[in-house]
Amino acid sequence: MRIKHNSTLLKLALMLVLLAGLAACSGQVVQPTEGEPAASQEEATPAQEGAAVEAPAEDVTLTVWSWRPEDEDAYNEIFDVYEAANPGVTIEFVAYVNTDYNNILATGLTGKGGPDVPQVRSYGGIQPLVEAGQLLPLDGEIDLANFPAAALKSTSGLSDGKVYAVPTGVQAFTAYYNADIFDELGLEEPQTWDEFIAVLDVLKAADYIPISTPAKDVWMLPLVQEAVGATRYGGPAFEADILSGAKDFNDPDYVASIQLVKDLQPYFPDDVNGVSYVDSKTLFLSGMAGIYLGGSFEVGFWRNEGPDMNLGAFPVPPAPDALVDTPLVPGWYDGSFGVNALSEHPEEAKEFVAWMATPEYGQLFTEKIKMMSAIPGMKPTDPLLQEFSDLFAEYPAAYMHLVDFRYGDPWGSNLMADGIAAMLLGNMTAEEVAASVQTGISQWFTPAQ
Amino acid sequence: MRNQAVKKRKFSFADFGIYALLWGYAAVVLLPLLLVLGNTMRTTRQIFQEPAGLPTSINFDSYVRAWQEASFNIYFFNSLLITVLSVLLATAVSALAAYILGRYIFFGSKFLLSFFMAGLMMPFRLAIVPLFMMLNNIGLVDSRMGVILVYAATGVPFSIFILSAFFRQLPQELAEAARIDGAGEFRIFGQIMLPLVRPALATVAVFQFVPLWNDFFYPLILLRSTEKWTLAVGMTRFFGEFQTDWSTLFAGLVITTLPLIILFLLATKQIITGLTAGIGK
Amino acid sequence: MGETAKIPVEKSHRKTARGVGRSAPPWPTVAAFLLPAFMLYTIFMIWPLIQAVYFSMYEFKGLSREGFIGLGNFKELFTRYPLNEQLPRAFMHNIAFFIGTMLIQNTFGLLFALLLHGIRKGKRFFQSVYTTPYLISALIVGYLWNLMLNPLFGPINNILKAIGLEALAHPWLGDPATALPTIILVNGWQMLGFPLLLFSAGLAGISDEVREAARIDGASRWQLFTRIELPLLTPVIGVITVLTFIRDFNAFGIVWALGGVGGEPAGSTDVLGLVFYRTAFQGGIDAFGLASALAVLMFIFIFGISTLALGIFRRLEDRLT
Repeated sequence: MRIKHNSTLLKLALMLVLLAGLAACSGQVVQPTEGEPAASQEEATPAQEGAAVEAPAEDVTLTVWSWRPEDEDAYNEIFDVYEAANPGVTIEFVAYVNTDYNNILATGLTGKGGPDVPQVRSYGGIQPLVEAGQLLPLDGEIDLANFPAAALKSTSGLSDGKVYAVPTGVQAFTAYYNADIFDELGLEEPQTWDEFIAVLDVLKAADYIPISTPAKDVWMLPLVQEAVGATRYGGPAFEADILSGAKDFNDPDYVASIQLVKDLQPYFPDDVNGVSYVDSKTLFLSGMAGIYLGGSFEVGFWRNEGPDMNLGAFPVPPAPDALVDTPLVPGWYDGSFGVNALSEHPEEAKEFVAWMATPEYGQLFTEKIKMMSAIPGMKPTDPLLQEFSDLFAEYPAAYMHLVDFRYGDPWGSNLMADGIAAMLLGNMTAEEVAASVQTGISQWFTPAQ
Repeated sequence: MRNQAVKKRKFSFADFGIYALLWGYAAVVLLPLLLVLGNTMRTTRQIFQEPAGLPTSINFDSYVRAWQEASFNIYFFNSLLITVLSVLLATAVSALAAYILGRYIFFGSKFLLSFFMAGLMMPFRLAIVPLFMMLNNIGLVDSRMGVILVYAATGVPFSIFILSAFFRQLPQELAEAARIDGAGEFRIFGQIMLPLVRPALATVAVFQFVPLWNDFFYPLILLRSTEKWTLAVGMTRFFGEFQTDWSTLFAGLVITTLPLIILFLLATKQIITGLTAGIGK
Repeated sequence: MGETAKIPVEKSHRKTARGVGRSAPPWPTVAAFLLPAFMLYTIFMIWPLIQAVYFSMYEFKGLSREGFIGLGNFKELFTRYPLNEQLPRAFMHNIAFFIGTMLIQNTFGLLFALLLHGIRKGKRFFQSVYTTPYLISALIVGYLWNLMLNPLFGPINNILKAIGLEALAHPWLGDPATALPTIILVNGWQMLGFPLLLFSAGLAGISDEVREAARIDGASRWQLFTRIELPLLTPVIGVITVLTFIRDFNAFGIVWALGGVGGEPAGSTDVLGLVFYRTAFQGGIDAFGLASALAVLMFIFIFGISTLALGIFRRLEDRLT
């Protein structure tokens, strides 16, 4: 039998390395979380006694968390402006992957070492944080006069009506078109539904995919329904009736608005249920599709990946039998920044988010992030974004299922998304989709009367 | 004896068929991987224009970008430190426990074995919030140590499951002989038994290594400071909400996966020997 | 202790395995061996699990714990629309996922292990190549096969069209009828190395004397396989079955990468892992308690079935060998 002493020695050595390694780790790493976080800064302060009394004069680092890794450079540029005006304050921007952000944030706001200023979801998405007392209320603390009421509603607690975050962006959703293809085929922006269908027919006849839209990543589908159907069900008036309980989603006009998506299916890519979000963008980028139903949040993407594309935007004209005779562009407030209730620098953090409520920040935001600012009147430098901004200002409507129906489980938008996908597959009718939405939402939603 | 039997056979038609099948499946494995490699040499714009196209030139720009933009040298060190220490810790404590559980039957030994087994069945993301709260209370959030301990704990069930089966099969006579020579339990374990299950240790270590190296979920929740992030977490920086830099992402993923492939190539022989000894006889 | 260690003949019998059966060392020694693993495992795995069970009986608002509601969360899981429809559907998909994966792993894994066992050159090479996908994160595998199978730009459909098999070109992941089988195949592609290595090891462990004896008795290759190799591989199949069961009922990454968070198209690839993810991270204010309840149910189910299966395989093994 081969019993080698050296291999035992090897193992002992490994164990020692392991133990040493663990010890080293704990030495380096545990200390900062164990001790008071301020301790490390004291060393840097020259006059210790003075610093102890007048703490605010110290250098402060505020950590900002976000779910938008693609904006990292832009945010750093924006925050440079704040740092220049506020010596002693450093803003550190950390972006996490969007799909796990809610989880990261919920835990991050629980313990030490979390962000001072987290980016938080709007409407229903902010409620769990509010209910758990993880954000500081901002009313009376900072000046929110620049925002319209609708913007502040997006960051208010449902139960107490207080504002818990500064809204930053607003999104609008409508039709992009490839102007080169339109020129080639002699097409113009349609003003009526008939013209819209005529445009789609010409595109189809010329072997272009008329409308590029995904039905595999279903979250886009409720937006598509709003973009083409909001006029049909009556837009804001219907929303008010739903909220008051005067109508429900089984309303024939609402059913008809869902049916519009099915009616447009011949103009979508073949096998649309197999087309992912990325695929649908690829179709539009590569010049295979004439129209893309999309959001203002995608302007930056087109500029990065298709800088040579000649793009325009138009609102989908009112559908036949529409209850509203002007187009409607659905929109919603998106992304806001709050203050962590456990922040060690609450005053500095509040000052910082107060700056985010100023036109100076709003203008920087729309220029650098390439999104519409939640503060009205900001001027995007990108003409396409300006076009979205103008359209939304002219034909405003709400993306109802996000704005009103994410305050409980299940979300209205998820029910719509799954329903429309099933409808496109032929597994559900428009009536059944509407009924599913009504059934799901009525479990937690009670009309206000 | 077996060698003779093999030598007698000639390269026949059947052999040809076997190799054709083996190469055929190798192509099914490798060709899609080459597609990914090809896409690392194209820009994200090109990928969007033509998703399954071929690269026009051999270039490693995206690798350079991935390495620099995502501070890969730091992440690489963290990944190595966290994964290696977790695997070592888990394997060490599991070997000790598996020895006793595999070699002896005593009051509660059966219960303990299934107690350890239960961990195998735990849904991955189930207990992250309670776990986070506990680590937060004992000051182990944002600490590589915390991640190492959690990772090591998740490796314990599998390691004990495999190692106890190995220890169970070692002949009794060796231990008896040593015991007559006056060796204590720890010496028997360390000097006689442990060297005999070396292939099993390698197997257990590698099978723990792979998922830990690729995991980004625990570090995302448990680590705060970017300088403590691992490679897998670094990769998630390339995933935007609506924009993903595919080219850089894939280059980064290739860089991340290479060490695993090398490790596996080095360890295949040990693994096969280890598994053979453990389950074959 | 009535039993003495038997001299092993062909096989090891679990209850009378060679080393086992001797009286244990004194308890301080036993404790010293067990304690490190026990502590580590109990603190960082079992304690959070117990907490999760405890939490599952409370109402949550965000992460803040409110009142005790007993089995209220469990009741919600089965009554709240559309969860009450998604949950059984996802459960059936997990079963299909498990059965499909088992078929692929045990047939192809065993087939390739047998082929590799018989060849002279390149054994290690093929083993390594076939195992490569196992090393790759689900992110790459998902992207890769989304692209390969893409109905618009995917090479697979393009090749089928190019060689005149246009009729076979299909939106594999976009059709509810083919999406789940496709994901099962991709999962099999990624995981094949695992059963392959185990079967290879199992085959290598069957002694040449046994094979030779069978050959002298005039057994055909098929008989050798069915009468000798397959019964001796029972423990391997047992290990693969239980580990695959555990993994497939926790399936998340690969399904998410190929079918999206909702198990698209139309929920045809939805599995419990995705339902859990959606409940926990895309739910309402009470999501945390609800998700804990779901996780507890999943754990109980997986634990129960696995324990049962391990017992069955042990008995089967004893009978066959």
